[in-house]
Amino acid sequence: MVYLALIALIGGIACGIAGLDNTAPVEVIVSHKDLILYILMFLVGISIGLNRGIIKKIKEYHIRIFVIPAGIIAGSLAGGVVSGLLTGLPLNESAAIASGLGWYSLSGVTLGNLAGAQAGSIAFLSNLLREIFSFFSIPLIAKKLNYPSCIAPAGATSEDTTLPMMIRYTDEETVVLSVFNGVICSAAVPFLISFCYNFF
Amino acid sequence: MNVIIIMCAGILISKIFFPVKWKHINELMQLICTLLLIFSMGVLLGSREDFLNTITTVGFQSFLFFLFPAVCSVIAVYPLTKIFLNKKKNGKDEI
Repeated sequence: MVYLALIALIGGIACGIAGLDNTAPVEVIVSHKDLILYILMFLVGISIGLNRGIIKKIKEYHIRIFVIPAGIIAGSLAGGVVSGLLTGLPLNESAAIASGLGWYSLSGVTLGNLAGAQAGSIAFLSNLLREIFSFFSIPLIAKKLNYPSCIAPAGATSEDTTLPMMIRYTDEETVVLSVFNGVICSAAVPFLISFCYNFF
Repeated sequence: MNVIIIMCAGILISKIFFPVKWKHINELMQLICTLLLIFSMGVLLGSREDFLNTITTVGFQSFLFFLFPAVCSVIAVYPLTKIFLNKKKNGKDEI
């Protein structure tokens, strides 16, 4: 699966660079990516439904379901501060860049407006790298640590782009936690970027 | 929010009439959708005008800003899941 994902990613980038994104099959796929995601989520819902007792397990988590997004936000901000110390960027910019939690499109544009083109570019590329890293680290983390920890590198993308890898390498229960985490992190990103940039 | 609603619709359908013998077809369809989504993400990245230029100008700083937040997130989340979510290495519940 990892190899297939890598081939699909590199193939897509190559098509984009070569200008093939306007050809019929590629354009159809790209313009219908939301529909593909919805079909995937419907199929995931079927998988979850076939797994008896999973909803009951999720309910049992109660307030503890928030530990994953809380850990991701705390860890990301700490990592942003460390990166800032190493690169010499101001603390507020560093924390704000890390606050993207993998959501490269939003963080790139927002930081670009707040702190200038360079910070915007770093936010875009670092969060993009985080998303790509998540794809390929999920199988390793699932094997070496545990399933819920796979959600950590994915951050805000755990409800959409990295969800397919979560589906392949973890279980239905973790997929539900992953979607929940993605919703919380995605909602937090705009506030976190603004808060970190203005108050750190 | 749409994603959650659609996922819930899938759960409902599976509870009402989805045959278990179609589980493998469901998994195959998931794989195809997954690869199409990853491919479309690649196309969107590659078609950005400044994609290659961005990589070459702020590549190293961006690498650090990806590496530390991602790794620190895992370092923060792993012990929390061990303490609060009570899962074993293979994802099964502890007895």
